Amino acid sequence: MPLFARKTETVPCTVEVSHRFEALHAHVRFNDGSVIHPGDEVLVQGPPVMAAWGEVISEDRVATITRATALERLWTRLTGDFEFIELCEFSFSEDLALEQEKAA
Amino acid sequence: MNIQNTAPETAHDELHAEIADRFDTTAMATETTLLNPRFYTTDFDELDRIDVSSVREDWDDLLAQMRSDPNKGHFKKTEEWDNIDWDGMEPKLKAELIDFLVSSCTAEFSGCVLYKEMKRRGKNPDICELFSYMSRDEARHAGFINDALREAGVAVNLGFLTKSKKYTYFRPKFIYYATYLSEKIGYARYITIYRHLEANPDKRFHPIFKWFREWCNDEFSHGEAFALLMRTDPKLTQSFVNKLWIRFFLTAVYSTMYVRDHARPAFHEAMGVDIDWYDQEVFRKTSEIARQVFPVELDIDHPRWMPNLKRMERAFRKMEAAEKQTGLARMLGKLTSGAQAGWAFVSLYTIPVKKNTPPESVRLEPAY
Repeated sequence: MPLFARKTETVPCTVEVSHRFEALHAHVRFNDGSVIHPGDEVLVQGPPVMAAWGEVISEDRVATITRATALERLWTRLTGDFEFIELCEFSFSEDLALEQEKAA
Repeated sequence: MNIQNTAPETAHDELHAEIADRFDTTAMATETTLLNPRFYTTDFDELDRIDVSSVREDWDDLLAQMRSDPNKGHFKKTEEWDNIDWDGMEPKLKAELIDFLVSSCTAEFSGCVLYKEMKRRGKNPDICELFSYMSRDEARHAGFINDALREAGVAVNLGFLTKSKKYTYFRPKFIYYATYLSEKIGYARYITIYRHLEANPDKRFHPIFKWFREWCNDEFSHGEAFALLMRTDPKLTQSFVNKLWIRFFLTAVYSTMYVRDHARPAFHEAMGVDIDWYDQEVFRKTSEIARQVFPVELDIDHPRWMPNLKRMERAFRKMEAAEKQTGLARMLGKLTSGAQAGWAFVSLYTIPVKKNTPPESVRLEPAY
């Protein structure tokens, strides 16, 4: 694992998007078993996968994985925990001044 | 608010950029809200090493219940689903209601992505089965909220997949503490609203609240699963350092909830709910439930509790106001409000906690 230079990999993936009443979800699966590590970035190539209402789309695509450097990985491992508040559900966004935004 | 001019830093910023845009048009034309969940990774090997044999009986009961999918038929629109006059709704209430729906949808959706990832990456069959049911429930909830959003003329856009996504990292124990609390708080919030509106049906300004009773049972059983997971390793709740972490999580989560709820006055006023009362009620229920697994409990009746929550809320408002300024005023404003928020947090964190010995058997049933 390089210390400073980022490496990119191009891997085949399957994208599944469900935009139905019964379930709203979207997942990416790497077909070659590639594994994502802390700090890595994933970009699914091609136009946005747009599922219309009521549709489930499953498409084979190509994804670019930009691997984090060893330092970035370490940093993400050390600091990621402090974003834990994102895991919590509070019903409302963190934007306190919603009413001003709307009145503008 | 010129949120569009700033680069979105979080999923919510981006969502709100879309929503703010929507409200600029007086016509209720359908606009899209880009759903932008966060992506996480964790130590999957550690998850695989979990051994549920010490709680096997409770585990199997819970999993059997989740497998039977008691809420399968619940998330359907029936004649109970009243029509909403979105156009006639007071604009401030409408904005807050849509924020509520979008934020809830994003949270369910992110939960679904996280749980699915844990299911897919894991090799431990017990853990994989659990996460498959939780991910199923979250996708179902997200779909239900999405439909309510569609009625309001807000369409959800799932195009985020083709945007670059950075994966952050949580240690498994942080996921347990945070999601356990999140699920149990979710339960307490939903059931408190449900019971309040049951007694005051004239205040029910959207039909989605009628679904909260069965809905929150899903949250409750997800929380049960994390309680069992934490019981598999006594260190997670008993070691000195982890007790401090639990205390930290409770303080951070309760105070964040307080600040965010107070930023939505129209929503709570329309329900006829006093926010201080509501939040204390949610804390009380959550704390009582959390005795099943946490060895410490925050003293929410301590004389330092409420004043410091209020101080924290004022500090966050000042911080947001400072963000809108420029130069030195911005820097000073952020610095002082940050220090005030930090001090309020320390004051809350250092309130002596109530000690508690979790019971032999961890399992609970929803009772409120």
